[in-house]
Amino acid sequence: MNEKKLHIGSTTFKNPVFLASGPAGYGIEYGDLINLEKLGAVVTKTISLMPKEGNPGTRLKETRSGLLNSVGLENVGAETFFSEKLPELLDLGVKPVVSLACESNKQYLNLLELVAREGRVDAVELNLSCPNVDEGGMVVGTDPESLRWYVSKAKEILESKTVLAKLTPNVGDIAPLAVISQEAGADGITAINTILGMDIDLATGKPVFDRITAGLSGPAIMPVALRAVWQIVQAVDIPVVGVGGISSVKSSRKFFAAGASAVQIGTALFYDPELPERIIDSL
Amino acid sequence: MKEPTKGRYEVEIITCKKVSPSTFIIELSKPERFPAAMPGQFISIRVGGATSPLLRRPYSILDMTDDYITLLVKVVGRGSEALVSMKTGDPVDFIGPLGSTYFELDKGGDAVFVAGGTGLAPLVFAARRWSRERRAGEMALLYGTESGSEVLSDIFEDDFSQVYIATIDGSRGFEGDVVEMFEYLAERAVLPGGKLYSCGPSGMVEALVKSDIDSFNDHYTSLESVMACGVGACRGCVVPVTSPEGAKYKSVCGDGTVFRAEDIDWDNWRS
Repeated sequence: MNEKKLHIGSTTFKNPVFLASGPAGYGIEYGDLINLEKLGAVVTKTISLMPKEGNPGTRLKETRSGLLNSVGLENVGAETFFSEKLPELLDLGVKPVVSLACESNKQYLNLLELVAREGRVDAVELNLSCPNVDEGGMVVGTDPESLRWYVSKAKEILESKTVLAKLTPNVGDIAPLAVISQEAGADGITAINTILGMDIDLATGKPVFDRITAGLSGPAIMPVALRAVWQIVQAVDIPVVGVGGISSVKSSRKFFAAGASAVQIGTALFYDPELPERIIDSL
Repeated sequence: MKEPTKGRYEVEIITCKKVSPSTFIIELSKPERFPAAMPGQFISIRVGGATSPLLRRPYSILDMTDDYITLLVKVVGRGSEALVSMKTGDPVDFIGPLGSTYFELDKGGDAVFVAGGTGLAPLVFAARRWSRERRAGEMALLYGTESGSEVLSDIFEDDFSQVYIATIDGSRGFEGDVVEMFEYLAERAVLPGGKLYSCGPSGMVEALVKSDIDSFNDHYTSLESVMACGVGACRGCVVPVTSPEGAKYKSVCGDGTVFRAEDIDWDNWRS
């Protein structure tokens, strides 16, 4: 069993197979379908300081071997998460990694202060695909200086807690952004978040989603994720957590072969909830 | 009462029978451990073993006995097409029972059911269940569909005390939609009172909510939506609600499928 153990930063995970942030909600919703205790970790849906109601209009559209989503980071907010959701998750024997929204500078700092005082959490993942509301809405993780600021503040305020920087693939060259995250103190890199896409409803000729674009996940993006992980592994010395379209034990092995230290399963849970457990058994 | 526990099951197709040009009744073997599902709950089926179609397809439970679970499946796309082409003995992978709210009836109460298309499924399940429990008084079904050849309610005639059929093209029964028929019948006081239960396209349920008939105090509806997780996790199948307390969006799969129809913010929902 011990050879499956994994260390990232100050955190020990019992194995390198995590649930990805988003599809599995707070994790507890999947308690009847997945043996959550067996997993290396559950990365929670992204938590913001204040509750977020999420996006109006259509939120899901299936594509060929993929899924577009425009959920809009709907979540209960940090306060309710820590008082209601986290205890349930811990009761199920889950190792939580809390995904944090990189919102406005002040709210982000306030969120970090809250997490810093939270003894039950020793690992976070920064969702760097959030728009930077202080800098005209540009996605945090696409701007080197924003990225550096968000990662370094997390390390500074969270001190010994483990910080994973989850990068967006919607950039020209992802490796330099991984290097910046490492320089800013990240303990590991998670790659990738969803790829920007869209769809048009031919009956109306209009975009399906109110926000026009949506995030593509699922098996369709696996080669893009694998390429990103490969490039990042060549560029940094810290552990890389691979995520994006893993749909079988075989595809998970490709990520490990590319140098990933761990993998995350997201969209595959919808059709194959036991995949993470099969990957663990295959290690 | 503790909510029945959901799980993933692998079962077999017992029969797949065409009951109208576009609709099939599929009988699945019931797994031994499968808990007692309630009307309005659903199962989510993995169609094919590959990743296209990617998502499981949700189907309301039409009926359930000790030996089988039945579903009403209308062919609308790749998923349902693949499902109805399955043969006796073919394996089916599903998760369920899903949904945390369901249709309920006070003992001895009357019920009026309004169904559009395959929205019939949870209403038939409710009627059968309440008959078996000797719970219901009068149960009237108002059923609407496009044309006479698509009328499914004949199969379920014995499950209701009264059945009224509406077709858009007027080829059978009332000419018009089911809500117009509902208003016509309600104005003439031929329907039992009691509670109103509906399931069908969102436009139908919205029209029902906005109709002028106020002789029903409670209207409960089982909503349909595109779903991904089926367990309330991904927040993909949300519906806006008007009730001031709590979240602005509720998930159809996790918080539903049955809602008080008045609580839905119909003006801001496109299912």
